[in-house]
Amino acid sequence: MQQKTGENATETVFTDQVVITAVEDENSDFTRLSASLAEIRKLKDVLGYILRSDTSAVLDFIEPDKITENAILSSQIHDSCGEITKLFNLGGTESVLVEGENVKVLCMSIGENSISVFMEKNAAHSGIIKRILV
Amino acid sequence: MTEAYPTALQTIINEFKNITPEITNTFIFQKNGEIIASTEASNEDQNKKLIAAFNNIADQAEIIGGIENLTIQGSDSQLTITSMNNRYLVNVSLRAADEKMVKMLTRVIVPTVVKLVDQIPELSSNELFRAKNPEVNPMEEIGPSDKQTTQSESVNDISASFSSEPILPEPPVNQFMIEKIGGLLVPCDIVRVDSEVIAKWHDIYGDKEITQVHIETLEGKAIMCGFKPIKETSNNGKGIIQFPEKVMQALQTSKGKLVMVKPVITRQGEKIVAAKNRRKRN
Repeated sequence: MQQKTGENATETVFTDQVVITAVEDENSDFTRLSASLAEIRKLKDVLGYILRSDTSAVLDFIEPDKITENAILSSQIHDSCGEITKLFNLGGTESVLVEGENVKVLCMSIGENSISVFMEKNAAHSGIIKRILV
Repeated sequence: MTEAYPTALQTIINEFKNITPEITNTFIFQKNGEIIASTEASNEDQNKKLIAAFNNIADQAEIIGGIENLTIQGSDSQLTITSMNNRYLVNVSLRAADEKMVKMLTRVIVPTVVKLVDQIPELSSNELFRAKNPEVNPMEEIGPSDKQTTQSESVNDISASFSSEPILPEPPVNQFMIEKIGGLLVPCDIVRVDSEVIAKWHDIYGDKEITQVHIETLEGKAIMCGFKPIKETSNNGKGIIQFPEKVMQALQTSKGKLVMVKPVITRQGEKIVAAKNRRKRN
């Protein structure tokens, strides 16, 4: 399922496995990152991603039934790791990697945009970081 | 978990700084939030806030199969949290640190030691003894003989195993934070220990009299002195030990620092108890 909604919602598209929620705005970083992540999403071991700014959000997952739980986890990682970074004076956060038993989550913040990429544990996350930063 | 467990972990993480000076902070906490070992540079309040933040993520991480590793790459430093059998190792290091070395320490060495130490309580004291002395058969452990006498003379620390008396367990080691006590009625050479811990010692050693404790600072200064239970019930179970000024001076330590404490179990203590028991019977 693919979906766009919000204050100025423009379209709602339904496909089999993807949900996208977005609000239109003038955030050029958001547009660029959205395009990069759409390409990253096609990689073999990538399970899905969340791109969120103050006004917009894009969610795209292979398994749509896990979107809510993934979104809650993603939000918690960004919030808690932000606290930890300040607490231990780590400097600006470049990336956060949370590895579970089978899945790992790569979280990054670029400007006001926060990104979470969910992938298989054996996926090469450093390559994904490079692609996001390009 | 054995009482010696925190000491073993403490010893390892104290070495981190020597191996990689870029490591700025290391500590280990349990799933319930209890910190079981930490480097000197650790700030307890800071560590507790980190544990709370980490637990908030862990609560939501079931969808990815729990958290095995968490790495935050900051522009100046990096922080890793590694899961090790219901315990978590937190390590903060500068970005200049040798990444391979940090990974080896946090993902290989410490988890391996934790795994090994976890297996120790599964072995009985006899099994441990046999592991140390594979050539001694069980029969030789019971009755006295010339051969046994020779062995007990050559290896002092095994002598107890050859007598008919039961093998005493190793004294448990507890880590406490120092609190200062003072006043006219406070003896200058007696420390006050958590009464629950003292009760545990008596559980382990039965009627063996324990009159002294061995106290060691993280810097390696050690003394033996008498002890009494902490008077105020509200101060029990808090992980503190109360020191008079003189003891603090002797150990060159201060309020808020951590010390390792274990009971002193001596053969003399056992003899005193045996003599008391004989007098009672007569």
